[in-house]
Amino acid sequence: MNGVAKSPVDVLIKCPCTGMKHEYLSVATRLKAALMHFSFASDVQDDTSASWRKRRKHFFVLSHSGKPIYSRYGDEHKLAGFSATLQAIISFVENGGDRIKFVRAGRHQVVFLVKGPIYLVCISCTEEPYEALRGQLELLYGQILVILTKSIDRCFVKNPKFDMAPLLGGTDAVFSSLIHSFSWNPATFLHAYTCLPLAYSTRQAAGAILQDVADSGVLFAILMCRHKVVSLVGAQKASLHPDDMLLLSNFILSTESFRTSEAFSPICLPHYNSMAFLYAYVHYLDVDTYLALLSTNSEGFYHLKECRIQIESVLVKSNVLCEVQKSILDGGLHVEDLPVDSSLRSGLPYPHPGQGRAAPSSMSEIGGPAGLWHFIYRSINLDQYVSSEFSSPLNSSGLHKRLYRAYQKLYVSMHDRQIGPHKTQFRRDENYVLLCWITQDFELYAAFDPLADKALAIKTCNRVCQWVRDLENEIFLFGGSPFSW
Amino acid sequence: MGLSSANIANEEIQFCIFDSRRGQHEGQELDKILFFYPSECPYSSQLSVIGLCEGIITFTRIFSPEAACEVIEAERHSHVFYEAEPDIWMIMVVEKSKYAESVWRSEALRGVLKEIHSLFVMFHGSLKTLIDKQPSDFTIGKKIQLPSFRECLKERGTVQMLTISRDMAIEIQSLITVLGSPSGANTTYNSLILFQDLLVSTTLSPDDTANLFAYCVMRLSPHALSSSLSVNSWSYIRKSKSASNVSTVSAVCAASDGSQGTSHDASPGEQPRTVNVPRPLQRDKWSKGGDGFLATDVWGVEIGTSLPRTPTLWLQQTHERTYLCVYQYKNLTIVLLIPVSSLINGEQGIALVKNQLLENVSQKIVNIEEKLSRGWGGENAYHVSGYRYLLLDGDRNISRASPPAKVTTLSKDSLLALNKLREEVDLEKKRTMSDNPEHEKDFEACIRVKNNAWVIAKISRGRELYMALEKASETLMFASDAVEKFSNRYCEGAFSLD
Repeated sequence: MNGVAKSPVDVLIKCPCTGMKHEYLSVATRLKAALMHFSFASDVQDDTSASWRKRRKHFFVLSHSGKPIYSRYGDEHKLAGFSATLQAIISFVENGGDRIKFVRAGRHQVVFLVKGPIYLVCISCTEEPYEALRGQLELLYGQILVILTKSIDRCFVKNPKFDMAPLLGGTDAVFSSLIHSFSWNPATFLHAYTCLPLAYSTRQAAGAILQDVADSGVLFAILMCRHKVVSLVGAQKASLHPDDMLLLSNFILSTESFRTSEAFSPICLPHYNSMAFLYAYVHYLDVDTYLALLSTNSEGFYHLKECRIQIESVLVKSNVLCEVQKSILDGGLHVEDLPVDSSLRSGLPYPHPGQGRAAPSSMSEIGGPAGLWHFIYRSINLDQYVSSEFSSPLNSSGLHKRLYRAYQKLYVSMHDRQIGPHKTQFRRDENYVLLCWITQDFELYAAFDPLADKALAIKTCNRVCQWVRDLENEIFLFGGSPFSW
Repeated sequence: MGLSSANIANEEIQFCIFDSRRGQHEGQELDKILFFYPSECPYSSQLSVIGLCEGIITFTRIFSPEAACEVIEAERHSHVFYEAEPDIWMIMVVEKSKYAESVWRSEALRGVLKEIHSLFVMFHGSLKTLIDKQPSDFTIGKKIQLPSFRECLKERGTVQMLTISRDMAIEIQSLITVLGSPSGANTTYNSLILFQDLLVSTTLSPDDTANLFAYCVMRLSPHALSSSLSVNSWSYIRKSKSASNVSTVSAVCAASDGSQGTSHDASPGEQPRTVNVPRPLQRDKWSKGGDGFLATDVWGVEIGTSLPRTPTLWLQQTHERTYLCVYQYKNLTIVLLIPVSSLINGEQGIALVKNQLLENVSQKIVNIEEKLSRGWGGENAYHVSGYRYLLLDGDRNISRASPPAKVTTLSKDSLLALNKLREEVDLEKKRTMSDNPEHEKDFEACIRVKNNAWVIAKISRGRELYMALEKASETLMFASDAVEKFSNRYCEGAFSLD
């Protein structure tokens, strides 16, 4: 084109072709090469490759130059060609001034998330909605930040071909545990945390001693039992985002070394400050219960250790740890215990028990009143949720997972970005009746027998809300410090 | 070139057809492209669209070898895929403009692609045979309006029926019988009868009916003919003035062998080869003659005469080529399909059939038209007060919906919510189909939206009901009762609980 005289025909034919070849080859050829690589790999080790393809949910992290950083399945070093393919797709769309969100083919969905120089991709046939998978990629990215902070971006500025994978060495368990939690922990899509049920006075006692250390220069003091909060306190004006709590507890629970001895580790809370490390003192008080004390001071180990000793002695003296163990044994809310009035008690899923339906008596003994199987109640102001325990007929992990996915779908549908949130939703398919109700104060998600009566289900939801409000002092944490995020 | 690329920057849509078997070698990639709109788009951009699509098709096959790529969703564009025939892909690239109007269901966009392909195949046969015969170019014709969320109470590819009484049905049946078995012919003719834009009867398979019905409503019905007189007032989806800022595209393609008016094979006994490949979707090409038959010169003229050649089309069900013969009396349109193989003497034979029709059934037609017009409730005949609905019977390709003028009274938020719910249902339906094609999913969702409207979807025994209720009471029970009442009254209880 550079001013060189050409006949119109030349311009028409040759010019576009040179540009075209470059553009066309960049994607098509790279993808073809990647596929050759795959078919070659499958020739060599047929089983591995075939089973790798058939995994239901892949997660990949790669750099903007196409270097593999993480892969859920398979050795990421062997996936260099595949990573390059993903990179080619993302950058091709980016070169066109756009940003790729997802690709769908049949049951499969490929979801892309670009975070500066870090690309995250999920390939799934789990039928989770795009928004849910994207949220999971956001958490995966958050987990990387927990370990490395966002200042990792600078390494890519200095050297675009920077190899980040070694920096995450030994953290595989953290990521696989997080990915696993996507299918069992509602906190991953509710953006709320849950508390271990405890008597109000017990939680008060724990909170009081945590508050004492927070006043002595600890940024956050968190006492947790597995993934549930016993108590948590932040220094003035410091607030903890529920997603940060999820990532922090996942990091602690999945890092084996924390269990064996007290530890002091740099850690980043992405919503608090994605650019800087905090320093976490972590100590298990018993097999399930652990204390995390976070400070901005990298030299704070001995101070935090002293705080821990102080806290531990108070917790032992005031019997908090025993209460925690007892609560674990007792479990949380059971739908069977939902207080009912007479109208609900007779209100089994079928208007006329024993008439015309198969085995109504056995059905009526399953779950709670009116065919209630399970519920999740999320308090909007507290950023906390409470979920009922699983009971019959939801008694396998496969059924639990299916219900979580159904809730997740319902959550996405209710929280439509353009026109949501909706107010109410009733949904019936072959597996459940699902009811969702969103008000200014709370969100309720409830699952019923698919044959449940609509009117009774609504009544039961009202009962659940009342029940939760009656118990709120035991199932929620009412912080003394401002919790305003 | 600078000029044309500036134009392209304003385009909100690209549409292409490519054959992934062709242009396998480096430097020959252009051979893949069978059609590209806008045609002035530089080859480099055309190839980059196709390169991305082909790349993604290959990529998704790694994980999903059985189901092909359906959509690429990016922040500013959606690429909707439709594998019309093996290895022949139709792609529509739509730009999401800053207006919130550019919200679509990808299934609705795919419906556009399917319809374009079906109509093309109806008139020309499959793309593959055409390409194999002779590499063709495709030229563009008509305006298409993208089905935005405002059309969420419509379903492309379905037929809208006129409800008729039992007596009327008997009368029409007798008309069909006469039409179908002309004296002296040893085959039966298929027919399609429309009253205004509604189907009265058909003897065709559901798919052929849907295709021909779509064509009739677009080009042949009294409405289509009259609106073609007033320049440019016609839009693909009539009465959707509200969607005027939705992008339009001239995209329905017709084949052209590029060598117009050259070869024709006159060897006797064989089908005469078309001189021009016709473009049946061109606008304003049909007109009503004095004898009541509709005529067009789209198919060219008889050799040596100035008489227009009678249009032909292919029936999917029987793979049979038939003449398309259309008679119209006031609101009644009668489409008669005469198998090409049954007439040895071509146009002469058709003239004979036409005469027979006029002699034998014109009085019958007058009577039927009169009775139907008398009983016709006007354009709001199927309005149900308080409801905005779409009722679908997927097995039979039939739909009925609130009149468009009534749907436009819904607020934007209600329409957006319903559109979104339909998108969810589309996915659910597809999953059920791939799981177990025999199993019919029963599903119900009832959502109270932020603006307090209820949007409802219900699938039962293969039938689908979509509804928006504004000004409804706030309880879920009220909304359920409303659906129940509607179902009992208008759907023979198909969506009722027990």
